[in-house]
Amino acid sequence: MDRTLMRLLGRILESDTKRTDSKLPRILPALRLSVVLLCILLCALSRNAVFVVGILAAELIRLAFLPPQRIAGVLGRLALPVLFTLLIMLPSVFLGHPRTMLTVTMKVTCSVLLLLLANEEMDWKDVTGAFRSLHIPGIFTMTLDMTMRFLVLLGRLADAMLEAISLRTFDILKGRKRDRARYMTAGGVLGTTFLVSQRMATQTYEAMECRGYDGVYRSYEKHRFGWQDAVYALLIPLAIAAFIYCQAAL
Amino acid sequence: MHIPDNYLSPETCIAMTAAMVPVWAVSIKKVKDALPKDKIPKMGVGGSFSFLGMMFNVPLPGGTTGHAVGGTLIALLLGPWAACIAVSMALLLQALIFGDGGILAFGANCFNMAFVLPFVGYAVTHLIAPKFGTEESTKKRDLIAAGVGSYCGLNAAALCAAIEFGIQPMLFTDAAGNALYCPYGLGVAIPAMMIGHLTLFGLVEVIFTCAILAFVRSAAPEMQLSHKESHTSMPLKVFLGALILATPLGLLATGTAWGEWGTDEIADTGIGYTPQGMLDGFQFEAIIPDYSVAGMPEWIGYILSAVIGAACMVILFKLVSLLKKGGSAA
Repeated sequence: MDRTLMRLLGRILESDTKRTDSKLPRILPALRLSVVLLCILLCALSRNAVFVVGILAAELIRLAFLPPQRIAGVLGRLALPVLFTLLIMLPSVFLGHPRTMLTVTMKVTCSVLLLLLANEEMDWKDVTGAFRSLHIPGIFTMTLDMTMRFLVLLGRLADAMLEAISLRTFDILKGRKRDRARYMTAGGVLGTTFLVSQRMATQTYEAMECRGYDGVYRSYEKHRFGWQDAVYALLIPLAIAAFIYCQAAL
Repeated sequence: MHIPDNYLSPETCIAMTAAMVPVWAVSIKKVKDALPKDKIPKMGVGGSFSFLGMMFNVPLPGGTTGHAVGGTLIALLLGPWAACIAVSMALLLQALIFGDGGILAFGANCFNMAFVLPFVGYAVTHLIAPKFGTEESTKKRDLIAAGVGSYCGLNAAALCAAIEFGIQPMLFTDAAGNALYCPYGLGVAIPAMMIGHLTLFGLVEVIFTCAILAFVRSAAPEMQLSHKESHTSMPLKVFLGALILATPLGLLATGTAWGEWGTDEIADTGIGYTPQGMLDGFQFEAIIPDYSVAGMPEWIGYILSAVIGAACMVILFKLVSLLKKGGSAA
């Protein structure tokens, strides 16, 4: 449990602290997110593999431009959903529809790759900023933002408690008995974390109200709509046109 | 020159793969020892050149087609061992995703195009210009040597493929005396393969090698092993993009390359029957067969295949660079 927790914490901290690639053109986050969501939607709606293969080719080109370390990270995270889909769709091969397995796996690969590459190019605060620009209700954005931040704080708390338990049970109990004792205390750790989270949530909301929060989530980072955004926005009609063409072709 | 499945007997395929295993092992060791970590992704770029070069089919009167391979080019830029691995990877990708070249015949294809071709090309080039690539050599001499080297390399590979085809009816026949696999003997296979390669396809390989070599030396020197810079320059990226967009030119060549007919075509090539080994042989369904996506115009399928192939090559070798310790990969 503690290893999983540490891995989760590491992932969140990494996404919280990493800076986006300075070489990439700064595109309006809302626009970037819209294109990603649109492509995922069109891939899901596509009745044949043509459109999906096209999107996959574009994603592979973007992936090829990343440094090796980041490519490995993206592919590592992509592997599990793809393998899982292959496993779930395996019966279709035995039922005489091997193409179905390929099509569905390609759709999943494409969608997950789109999200992973978006994650590589955008900070978490860009995503919350994009939600604001897309007129998603402030309460939704705030809840999501708070969840991400509390995951880190509560993760640290749970980790500290688990470490304390490990130290206290060290050399007292051995083997299976020690493992059983650890599992028994897991419930306690989760309960305490939940209670602390309630207290922290109340305190945070009160602190926000004291600082003038009136239910509207504002983004203070200003991004002017430039020519790069205009070029990027062309992807939306292009994707829709390609989708219609691909569906009409078959 | 991509030998499809069932043209060679399983015994030949096993023997050719067995011959390639030590070559791959030594190549990996040599690349690990000699190639800096930040140059390994350049093998992916070289492999992309080879992959794209093989998509530019050139027609020959009589209905057959052929293409450049680019093995000598990679050998001259990054060394023959690196070329062996890069071309092998390009061939693997072609076989698995695009159904170009057989899965069982992968070892034989690698022997011809990833081993014989780059090593002969490299040796001939260095025989003509012993100081190839150094400051003491001239650009003109290097290009002439590279041209002759690539021509010899391609023809040596074609000769090997022709011999592999030609020995099949000598070794494997059924009770009626019909060939089980490739039905054409050495007397037909060698002239049929070599006439095209000694003339037009050899010339295409020379132009492909010399043009890209000249471009790389003037605009993208980071592709060369001797150059310290490793970051892929913009002209090289643009050049690769232009090459991808130009791949549909390969569709202008209609017809099938000699020795690459389907089981439905071979009876009409003059023998009047389909060899039993081909009818009962191993069948593999590629994801994007023949570089075409069903329901799409051929040129779109060709461009998509070129993009996927080139991107996969770069990604693959960038990942390989992570396995090597020390230095930094760009």
